[in-house]
Amino acid sequence: MTTRLQVRNLTRQHPGQQAPALDGLHLEVDAGGCLAVLGPSGSGKSTALRLIAGLDTPTGGTVLLDGADMTDVPAEKRGIAMVFQRPLLFPHLSVIDNVAFAGRAAGLSRSASRAASRRYLDLVQLGGYADRAVADISGGQAQRVALARSLAAEPKVLLLDEPFSALDSALRSDMYALLRTIRDELNPTIVLVTHDQSEAAVVADAIAVLIGGVLEHHSDVRTAYLRPSTVAVHRLMGGLNEIPGTIVAGVHHSELGSVVLPADDDPRDGPATLVIRQEMLRLVPVTAATLTGVVTALQPAGIRQRACVRVGTTSVFVELAPHVTVAPGAQVGLELPTEALHAVRAGP
Amino acid sequence: MSAPLIRAALGRALRVALVLWFVVPLVPILLWAFANRWPFPDLLPQQWGLDGVRSGLAAGAPRAFVVSATLGLAVAAIATPAGALAARALDSGRVPLPRLTEAVLFAPLILPAFAVALGLDVLVLRARAPSPVAVVAVLVVAAIPYTTYLMRVAFGAYDSGYEDEARTLGASRATVLIRVQIPLLAPALSGAAFLAFLVGWSDYVVTLLIGGGRVVSVPILVGSFAAGTGNSAVVAALSLAAVVPPLILLIVVARAGRRTGTRT
Amino acid sequence: MSRPPGTPMKSWRSAIWVLPAIVPVVIVLGAGLGSALVQSLGLMPLVGSPVLTLDAYRAQAGDIATSAALSVAIAAAATTIGVIVGVGLALTAVAGRRAALWAGTVTVPVPHLIGAATMGLLLADSGLLARLFGLSEGGWPALVGGRWWIAVVLEFAWKESAFIGLVVVAVLTTRVAAYDETAAMLGASRLARLRLVTFPLIRPAVVASATISFAYTLGSYEVARLLGRAYPEPLPVMAIRLFNSIDLATRPQAAAAAVVTAGLALLAVAGALTVLRRSAVWR
Repeated sequence: MTTRLQVRNLTRQHPGQQAPALDGLHLEVDAGGCLAVLGPSGSGKSTALRLIAGLDTPTGGTVLLDGADMTDVPAEKRGIAMVFQRPLLFPHLSVIDNVAFAGRAAGLSRSASRAASRRYLDLVQLGGYADRAVADISGGQAQRVALARSLAAEPKVLLLDEPFSALDSALRSDMYALLRTIRDELNPTIVLVTHDQSEAAVVADAIAVLIGGVLEHHSDVRTAYLRPSTVAVHRLMGGLNEIPGTIVAGVHHSELGSVVLPADDDPRDGPATLVIRQEMLRLVPVTAATLTGVVTALQPAGIRQRACVRVGTTSVFVELAPHVTVAPGAQVGLELPTEALHAVRAGP
Repeated sequence: MSAPLIRAALGRALRVALVLWFVVPLVPILLWAFANRWPFPDLLPQQWGLDGVRSGLAAGAPRAFVVSATLGLAVAAIATPAGALAARALDSGRVPLPRLTEAVLFAPLILPAFAVALGLDVLVLRARAPSPVAVVAVLVVAAIPYTTYLMRVAFGAYDSGYEDEARTLGASRATVLIRVQIPLLAPALSGAAFLAFLVGWSDYVVTLLIGGGRVVSVPILVGSFAAGTGNSAVVAALSLAAVVPPLILLIVVARAGRRTGTRT
Repeated sequence: MSRPPGTPMKSWRSAIWVLPAIVPVVIVLGAGLGSALVQSLGLMPLVGSPVLTLDAYRAQAGDIATSAALSVAIAAAATTIGVIVGVGLALTAVAGRRAALWAGTVTVPVPHLIGAATMGLLLADSGLLARLFGLSEGGWPALVGGRWWIAVVLEFAWKESAFIGLVVVAVLTTRVAAYDETAAMLGASRLARLRLVTFPLIRPAVVASATISFAYTLGSYEVARLLGRAYPEPLPVMAIRLFNSIDLATRPQAAAAAVVTAGLALLAVAGALTVLRRSAVWR
């Protein structure tokens, strides 16, 4: 089940539409790796998945599995399995017969395919539900059966198209744990499409960000948070702080003053936006800080609070640790750790 | 040739065969309706003309047309609301004995109409009921399965969220009915009305048996000519008159449905 | 009163809304078929006094049997062709090209009587097809009024295939499309998808529409009358001939033929329901 997936210059233009749905996508997923494709609605993520699966034909570009070109190979022969947002369990088959479907399609007898697929049903912890009718199981269970069904096909690559978005958050955590178990046991190559950056961070090794059909960022998870390629990517990853300014000789000048950029950041001069993760900022006593401001608002963010600190005419969001409180109107100091800073150039 | 090319060619051949299968049987009435003389081995009429049309008009086609249209409209007017109300009630799930109710409502689809008409004829005569009324009654019953089923499908796909939304915006029950429910259901209603109309328009046996020769619809007229020989032109002309109006209605209903229908 | 949570409570007030449909159906079907049954049993003679008897059935048992066999054979042949062509039509329409589907829809507004008339003009010895093939007297097979009732079967099959095709297309486009992709993603070839997914999912619709078509053909009069031969007669033709006969004593016999036809139609539906009940996809 472990295969290397490469996507080269994949393009899809819908006839009669101005902009391509997908423009020149370039991706690689190592064997056994898990890539999350993140993006807003209409960004081309599902299009990309369908092209990789072979359900639609690309206008240009190629899909390669272990180096083999898949262009002329129809979907059913690619060895790529896909789980959709809706489980789409075949209503005329029982749970175990659903999981055994790939075996039946390959020519195995009913008993042989059922026997082979029990292992996968057990893997998703629904071994006791084998003989249930599809109408008798819940939505979360159905999604797990759909996962087992795709795994039973022993695909080279597993594609997941927003498979957990219809589930509530408790179920979703269970599914993340399940995905981890599946990765440990079977080591498949996975591409997961999602619009939720926290899901991408929990599940994947690498993140690719698609906006408007164009790949704007592709890296491991930590880099996606700390070193986004564009401001749009930063926003998509949940970042709140963007401060426009200029870089001169490795120093970014803005409303916040002059800050030294990290050594691995691009040092060229020119206009650039400084992006800072709100989780990496800290409030310190005014006396100990080089940068001060006034707390203008406090927003709840789950159990934590987010402080909006006004510095000059700019606002900076700081996510406070659970035990820290601060009153609106208070003067506070801001600490900007260098590793948390990143400058994004304005142009391409 | 490669496999996909063979498959594409076969697919096209199949589609052409299917189109021919459906369309070719209609060609004779198009040709014969306007043929004055068409002796046997000739492939096309020797002389085109309107003799068939004229004979048809002389035989009472206009009056038959009115009779058929009245039958169709009467059946549509009664069977559509009856079916819609029944479908609404069944969809709500509150009807007692729903399976039995559905079975009864669908029974006219499978029970032979001629048997019902044959048995009813004596009773209609004894009750001295006017035959056109009895014909309409039987045809309404024949149409109810179609209207009920179509409206059942429509109610199944209908989202009552629209009604709830309208009421929170201050619409009274009557306003909700007129401005929300009926427009949303209009495509299905017109489809159901069309099918009911077709039942009334197309019928032969019930009109024959209960009408007792007094109700002369277009199919009855065609039947009387078709039974004889040498009437091909008249039969064809009358057949065109029987086919063209419902065909036009079908196009109108399909267009209206596409424009105002909500995609589910 | 325990009932699964979420199911509405049955109320007789809701039943009122079903009445405008139910009452006419019950009255017409009940009175019509009841009267036919009663007449066939000799209890409502036009002349003489009522006497409960099975004479109407016995007197023409042989004819009724032959007619019934013929009716069933015609209906079976027509429905079989209708199913094959109709499903084929649905499959091509779903693949994207809808020309054949439009062609099929055009036949829907054509009344069966008109269909019979035009089939006659097409298939008769002097019909359009005979002229097309250039076959003179004797060369063209007797399709109309011939031994094998070919023209009759073809007319029914022609209209039924459009009906069945349209019903199956509706099911295919709403329910089956997504499952077909899912099956492809699990490695099923086109043939395997047809066998394992498409056919099982359309089976209820096919059985239902085929049964309706079969029952309709059983009870149809005008097509067999126009395109068939004098003997043997299908049941409806026999019934109406007896009904219109000058001899009033044949009324019970006509009613008997009608009752037998209704019985056969009910048998067909009972058979279809048992087939459907075994399918997991029903409703």
